[in-house]
Amino acid sequence: MSETLLEMRKITKRFPGVLANDRISFDLLRGEVHALVGENGAGKTTLMKILYGLYSPDSGSISIKGGKLSIKNPKEAINSGIGMVHQHFMLIPPFTVLENIIIGEETQKFGILNEEKPAEKIRGLMEKNGLIVDINTKVEDIPVGIQQRVEILKILYRGAEILVFDEPTAVLTPQEAEELFKTFRQLTAQGKGIIFISHKLDEVLEIADRITVIRKGQVVKTLDGNEASKSLIAELMVGKPVLLEVKRPDVSPGRVILEVRNLDLKDYRKIAVLNDVSFTVHSGEVYGIAGVEGNGQTELISVIAEAAPIEHGDILLDGESVVNWDVRKRRDAGISHIPEDRHKYGLLLPFTLAENLTLGMHHKKPFVNSFQIINRKKIQEHARRVISIFDIRTPSELTPALALSGGNQQKVIVARELSAEPKLLLAAQPTRGVDIGATEFIHNQLMEAKKEGRAILLVSADLDEVMSLSDRIGVMYKGKIIKEFTREETTKEEIGFYMMGEKEHARN
Amino acid sequence: MPGIKLRFDRYKLLEIFAPVAGFLASIVVLLIIVIVVGESPGEALVAIYKFSLSSSAKVATILSVSIPLFFAGIAVAFAFQSGVFNIGAEGQYYFGGLIGAMAGIYLHLPAFIHIPVVILFSMAGGALWALIPAILKVTKNVHEVITTIMFNSIALALVNYLVNGPLSGLGQGKSLEPQTAKIQSTALFGKLNGFFRMLGWNVPDYVYLDYSLIVAVITGFIVWFVLFRMRHGFEIRAIGISLDVSRYSGMKVKQLQLSAFVISGALSGLIGLQEIFAIRGYYTYGIASGLGFDGIAIALIGKNSPLGVVFASLLFAFLKQAGYGLQFYTSVPNSVIYVITGLMILFIVVINEIVAAYIRTLRKKEAV
Repeated sequence: MSETLLEMRKITKRFPGVLANDRISFDLLRGEVHALVGENGAGKTTLMKILYGLYSPDSGSISIKGGKLSIKNPKEAINSGIGMVHQHFMLIPPFTVLENIIIGEETQKFGILNEEKPAEKIRGLMEKNGLIVDINTKVEDIPVGIQQRVEILKILYRGAEILVFDEPTAVLTPQEAEELFKTFRQLTAQGKGIIFISHKLDEVLEIADRITVIRKGQVVKTLDGNEASKSLIAELMVGKPVLLEVKRPDVSPGRVILEVRNLDLKDYRKIAVLNDVSFTVHSGEVYGIAGVEGNGQTELISVIAEAAPIEHGDILLDGESVVNWDVRKRRDAGISHIPEDRHKYGLLLPFTLAENLTLGMHHKKPFVNSFQIINRKKIQEHARRVISIFDIRTPSELTPALALSGGNQQKVIVARELSAEPKLLLAAQPTRGVDIGATEFIHNQLMEAKKEGRAILLVSADLDEVMSLSDRIGVMYKGKIIKEFTREETTKEEIGFYMMGEKEHARN
Repeated sequence: MPGIKLRFDRYKLLEIFAPVAGFLASIVVLLIIVIVVGESPGEALVAIYKFSLSSSAKVATILSVSIPLFFAGIAVAFAFQSGVFNIGAEGQYYFGGLIGAMAGIYLHLPAFIHIPVVILFSMAGGALWALIPAILKVTKNVHEVITTIMFNSIALALVNYLVNGPLSGLGQGKSLEPQTAKIQSTALFGKLNGFFRMLGWNVPDYVYLDYSLIVAVITGFIVWFVLFRMRHGFEIRAIGISLDVSRYSGMKVKQLQLSAFVISGALSGLIGLQEIFAIRGYYTYGIASGLGFDGIAIALIGKNSPLGVVFASLLFAFLKQAGYGLQFYTSVPNSVIYVITGLMILFIVVINEIVAAYIRTLRKKEAV
């Protein structure tokens, strides 16, 4: 039995109206990866913020290597050997790797920075852990996967023994994720402990020695890594059995609905963000775009749905060019859009659900009459119908959208966009930040839409999602669709290979 | 579902609580100031009461004073609903009033046409004065706060010049105050005092409850109807919440901003009606100033809703009268009322925010 590095006992934290952590006990041994899983709002983040000194618990105790202590701020957490790699990196892009690592811990003499000593120490750490980075490059010039290494080096530099990773693989390709897990193994071999927070159950099963599932602020169960299964964890998280596999209806694709021809778009720096993009989506077909975020997916959606101007090329809906149409005309012609950033684009939060559910169709009969007077009865009827079909949990259709949970808000958007009965549905990250239950539901709705013969263009950073929903998959890299597959002819690994840029990879 | 109905009403009650609490809090501050100045708070309250609510004449005065305040409030509120920060109501009613007055002076029409015509001309003038900042905003992204402030100064200088120069009516008049020619009798607003007396409300002749009151009631209703019952108003409120969501859902955001801005200007044009067509009968650059800025505060307190603006403008009128009362009966300076008005806005806005946050938590809990 190895030493207990960290023990959190009966941690309770209450926020106005919510019991975020309810007597949670959690421990971490030397040399293990302990995964912490749970739906959004289950209390993982709160627990980690308590550990990192960002919140103080209402009751409960924390001991590190047997010694009880109270952590009042992140500085104390760091001094106690706790290090955190946040989902969004805490790096300063124009600084070099070295500067980013030593920031706040600079060694100096008479106010002059000494970079030699830290550089030596960092080199030692890099060799020991296989985390090789050029310490003199600027962080803004290195890819995301390497930036994460810098984050890890940064906390190791501060002597962390308890390493917390908050959804570290969300921004990585499958290959980069494999690299990260190798690093995990190296770190645990040195006797460090890792707390791994993730939504991706496959990864959790692959890497975790123990898995603690929390739900509604309480620990449901702590499982041994080898006794767990995906469906068991999912069931514990949600509290009821969950269907993890999406049933893809057998629909043979019909006519071409969307045709994108040779699209070119440059950003304000004159750098190509879309580069000769061409593809088609048929009715009854899901076309998935895979790719690391920031390779032109957002721009692609915005030129189709938001009427963003293009430099060159054509977009055809049902054979008709829509390039010169405004958003309203495109919507009226049958384009629906589940936006990537639902907080920014999706809902008018202070408005009622009824109003939100007709947004984008609110200008058409029967929601307004010929005098442009709103027919509130029709809007509310429509809302009640949609709420019941899509199982949106709300006290009434007159509740403002801001009162709904994140998952239900996302359902509102999906419901609205599908209830417009579109020819083409653009789904950009449709399940990002949505918990398992709602994800299952949204996936089923997309499949329902496919069955109804709608064309669906799916963009997702979650490769599993793209793989399980799509009929055909295009891989985007640096604004180009560099490879197109049918689902049957490819594997996750192969797609991951193209996601990193075929040529770059071939060189290594 | 009756249960939900009940909870919905509870939120409404909470929302009403905010302005009431803000009002009471500022009255407490007022009384503290009164004590500091060395007067008796009791006497101060009596003074306020005597000058504001003690007789039907006093109440009628408050109503009368509130009419231009209401127009100012609803004009600003309309722009605020769309997220346009029109603080140019001041310039818009100077200009709109002038155009209206011109129609009153130089057009020869029977009264039943002349009065609607001067009202429409006043609105057109206000709209015109808002048009340039509006165009600059939607085409060149020039912030409306800058342009409307500038346009206030331009309007003031312009009417000053016109009234002193080309449009001066001093030749015919006897007054030394620079002013235009007299407005024709067919365009002058009559009083409703007789009508109210018939209803049993004893309004004396010196109080101005004129046709502008009718205009205010009709305007308030139309604005409410457009904002909350028509597609155009829905879209205007939507762009006020989020330009991104509105654009995403296909609304023509720029056109909407332009129209909200111009409508706000047209409503501003109504601010001067009472003073020009009922009280003075001519136009001068000396018409009551500062109403455009009062409008901002009124819109804020009234939460940009037409009904809210009704209450807020009555409250402002009451405060104005209360200030005169304090000055008249005690040694508390009238300017204290400005301090209190400012504090009241602050209190109400802050309490509004707190209540809104509280309602959000309640709703979140309930919606799961």
